Amino acid sequence: MSGLATQALAYVDALHNLARYLTGNDTDAEDLVQETYARALRAERQFTPGTNLKAWLFRILRNTFLSSYRRRRNDPTVGGLDTVGTEAGSPVASDWLLGDVELDRLRKVVADEIESALMTLSEESRTVILLDLEGLTEVEVADVVGCAVGTVKSRLSRARAALRLKLKDYAR
Amino acid sequence: MTCDEVRLHLRDYQEGRLRLESHNVVRAHLDGCASCARADTVEQELTRLLEHRLPQHPASLALKRRLAAQWSQPAGRHPWWARWRASLAPALAAAAVVLVAVPVVYYERVASSAAREQGAMADEAVNDHLRLLSSQRPLEVESGGLHQVKPWFGGRLDFAPVVTFEGDADFPLKGGSVGYFRDRKAAVFAYARRLHPISLLVFRADGLAWPSRNLTRIGAVDASVTSERGFNVIVWRRGELGYALVSDVDAGELKTLAARITPAP
Repeated sequence: MSGLATQALAYVDALHNLARYLTGNDTDAEDLVQETYARALRAERQFTPGTNLKAWLFRILRNTFLSSYRRRRNDPTVGGLDTVGTEAGSPVASDWLLGDVELDRLRKVVADEIESALMTLSEESRTVILLDLEGLTEVEVADVVGCAVGTVKSRLSRARAALRLKLKDYAR
Repeated sequence: MTCDEVRLHLRDYQEGRLRLESHNVVRAHLDGCASCARADTVEQELTRLLEHRLPQHPASLALKRRLAAQWSQPAGRHPWWARWRASLAPALAAAAVVLVAVPVVYYERVASSAAREQGAMADEAVNDHLRLLSSQRPLEVESGGLHQVKPWFGGRLDFAPVVTFEGDADFPLKGGSVGYFRDRKAAVFAYARRLHPISLLVFRADGLAWPSRNLTRIGAVDASVTSERGFNVIVWRRGELGYALVSDVDAGELKTLAARITPAP
């Protein structure tokens, strides 16, 4: 087993987690991760030593998802329902939680509710939120999703605002 | 910076990703803008929520084994699925690699993960304890004894907390409330030692990575005894339930209470 392979396998849990949140089920997530590693294996020489292997694998996974899984499913709702309309900084997006009561409610949201809320977001929003949680820098996230760093910043802000809005529905 | 610009940079600010100059500008803005300071608090809470409660979906062991076998062979001209159908010899070689390599590759990962989990559980217990202390109504049911507290949880939890220690002169039972441990509800039993409040959190144990090293035998259980931010924390699992005992009393006294909660047969 090569050094790269050993390193790559250390990220299988993180990759599977993102795959699970992209596909919505374990079976497709396993297929997606397996295909990701297969593609990475074939493209091993294209990896630049010294760059972020984890981000490279995430990029392959997302591209694989977009190019094959999504096309195969031909499911327009994969894109989610929050794609537009939640401008960061708008009163609706950012101010609903600013009271003590709402903040207290947010603290009581449980795991299943967070997952449900996240799954209602677009694939793009889910991806940037999860990659951010994985500790990728905005430059690395931009590399994974193929856009400018500034775009990542605004997309992440929008996505988190949308998630807060969704959580409002679950908060009790 | 305007409020919109500050809010756009809040994640970078919180993660320390801004240059010093920008960091100071944002901080100065937050010091003088109550609305943005509130947004900062909400963003931090959302991050904490995602980091602690968003379910994680790790790969199955079967998938890890398949991948280890797949990557154990050099890249060739054949697609990966073709290699699965190759001769028996490479398959056996792959199996050998799996048997040797997979435990090694994942051992350190699991070990470090367990250590992190142990710290994380103690951290969560302390947070829950502090949350209870800072609550305006820390006790949702005042104690008239264990037989008054335990039935109160009925209908408020999706499990029945197994606690038989009714409190005594050393550790009186003050009452109870419903709290949260990570992503699940918890029954909170409030004991005391002199003027020191002690919280016992009882919660479903499934899905948590329980410490398996450096355990201390207390009563009938092997428990993890740690300290976090000046608080002593004892965590153990018994059957399907997990227990976290946390207080600022000294570790010896907390162990004494733990032994009374889970007495040796």
